[in-house]
Amino acid sequence: MSQRKRLSNTQSSSQSKRQSGASVAQEENDDTTFTQPSTSQVQRGMQKLTPAQVDQKTAEVVQYFLVKDQKKIPVRRADLVKHVVKEYRTIYPEIMKRASRTFDQVFGLKMIEIDAKNHMYILINKLEPGDGASPIKSPTNPKMGLLFVILSVIFMKGGVVRENLIWNTLKKLRVDPREKHEDFGDVKKVVTDEFVRQRYLEYVRIPHTEPVEHEFRWGQRADVEVSKTKILEFMGQLHEQDPQSWSQQYREAHSVSGSTQPGSSR
Amino acid sequence: MKKAKGGGDALRQNDSADPRKGEQQQQQSDGYDGDCDFAADLQDENNDPGLRREIRSKYRDFIDSVQQNREELLTPSNNKLSEVLEEANKLFKDVQNVREAALDAHLLVVATNLGKEKANQLAAEGAAFDTTVFAERLLSFMGLNRLEDGEDGQQSGGAAGGYLPPDAWHRVARRAESCIQAAPTFNYMMGSFHAEPPPPPAKRKIEWRKAHGKEAERTMPTQLKTMEGSHQEVTEKDVERILGYLKSYHQDDPTSPISYYEFVIDPNSFSRTVENIFHTSFLVRDGLAQVYMDDDKLPCIAPVEEGEEGEVGAGESFSKNQCIVSISLKTWKEIIEAYDIKDAMIQPPNTQNE
Repeated sequence: MSQRKRLSNTQSSSQSKRQSGASVAQEENDDTTFTQPSTSQVQRGMQKLTPAQVDQKTAEVVQYFLVKDQKKIPVRRADLVKHVVKEYRTIYPEIMKRASRTFDQVFGLKMIEIDAKNHMYILINKLEPGDGASPIKSPTNPKMGLLFVILSVIFMKGGVVRENLIWNTLKKLRVDPREKHEDFGDVKKVVTDEFVRQRYLEYVRIPHTEPVEHEFRWGQRADVEVSKTKILEFMGQLHEQDPQSWSQQYREAHSVSGSTQPGSSR
Repeated sequence: MKKAKGGGDALRQNDSADPRKGEQQQQQSDGYDGDCDFAADLQDENNDPGLRREIRSKYRDFIDSVQQNREELLTPSNNKLSEVLEEANKLFKDVQNVREAALDAHLLVVATNLGKEKANQLAAEGAAFDTTVFAERLLSFMGLNRLEDGEDGQQSGGAAGGYLPPDAWHRVARRAESCIQAAPTFNYMMGSFHAEPPPPPAKRKIEWRKAHGKEAERTMPTQLKTMEGSHQEVTEKDVERILGYLKSYHQDDPTSPISYYEFVIDPNSFSRTVENIFHTSFLVRDGLAQVYMDDDKLPCIAPVEEGEEGEVGAGESFSKNQCIVSISLKTWKEIIEAYDIKDAMIQPPNTQNE
């Protein structure tokens, strides 16, 4: 009992490292208290484990990510440590490094930390989408179309829009947030809840508004996944205009040096 | 009472005592215009709680109206926002208490937000982006089929009637694929099994029985019927019939013997002939008919008299012999020619029923 008390008092990973055999005390540690182990701690941790064990743990982390990615919900470090890494938390950085390499070399995916403060990770495609349609005719998800429209409007309107603008635009496209849509169901929920949880959009309350209004911005996932240049290209095609005619947006798209930039660009 | 309490204010500050008012007013006025009079006699006049309330309610109304008319204030074509600020300044002249000042600050925040938005609008250089135009173009991209003869008006989408194809949003999604670098989601190559528990075996048996039970019952009766039919025809019916023929022929002319061959042969059908031979053999076996040779050594057939049956056991004239009668197509034809048989003595059962 006293041992556990000591753990909760000090809350340092060096204590927990010594207890690596006794996993009971480990799990008592709340995941919020996870602190990144130092390199020396990692080294010591690695010495106690066989390569096979480390590989196994890495593989588990990779699997966890892949399954979570099916719904495009970001992976929280706390969840990862609590459910997968568990008693191997002392070598957590090493595991993450190996997992990232696996994603890169085996799957062609990039593991990116989109939120450095809350430690959230997502997977994005390493390969840039080619020009023209993909040769693989996988079934398309109409929600992506909806998201694309919303992101385009936000971008073209300077990066922040009030929610009414989005709802009005969607109404013009025969998508009414008050009604159930054939392809999307509860449109409002998809846009304000699902897309937000996936970090494609941000839906924040505007202060001092009565009745309450929100505004939409690009989410952290959109910042790394979506190419502003390509959106501008599409706008050009659609409106039969030169993309450069939208000079401000053009500058914005090209100031991000290429199509993707990890981390939030705000 | 100098301390007036009103409702609805987010910031609740009790009116301070008189001596402090002057100080506060001094502080506030530094931020704005310096037209406020802070003479002591004026303070007494303006301390009327009714007046305070009036000022506060004016502020609140003003803030409400600003928020309601947002869109109007934001349009770049007018200067209404500046007018709002001027109006706010006028209101501020009468402000003395913290509470009113707080409302004024609130109004300023609202106005500032509007100002920021307006500035954003103005800052947009380059081509404008109109969501209406965008929507129109996107609808065409999605394959909107605009009706040519008038608008049905059932859509709220304004002038453009017509209907969208079912894959409209899929087209957009396909186009979006090349702009979004999303990781492909993994799924099992062979798919996963359909996670449903198998139907319990008991149910299966019942289902099977239901499917097959009726059939079994159905086949049984028909089988039985056919069996009985054929059984009968072979054994009793035909034999009886033939016996009837034999007796009737015999009765017509008891003294004249009936030639066996003439009796059994059907000149129209060889198979019938064979059947007749088969049936008459039963008659002979059962002792109902006798076959004997006449003077020309040709076989004849005659029914057995009932009275004579008793003497079979004792009899020397009736010896039970067995022989095999065979007939071939060739023989059949020869006999027909030799005997010149034109009609069958034994009528086939179908024609009999007519």
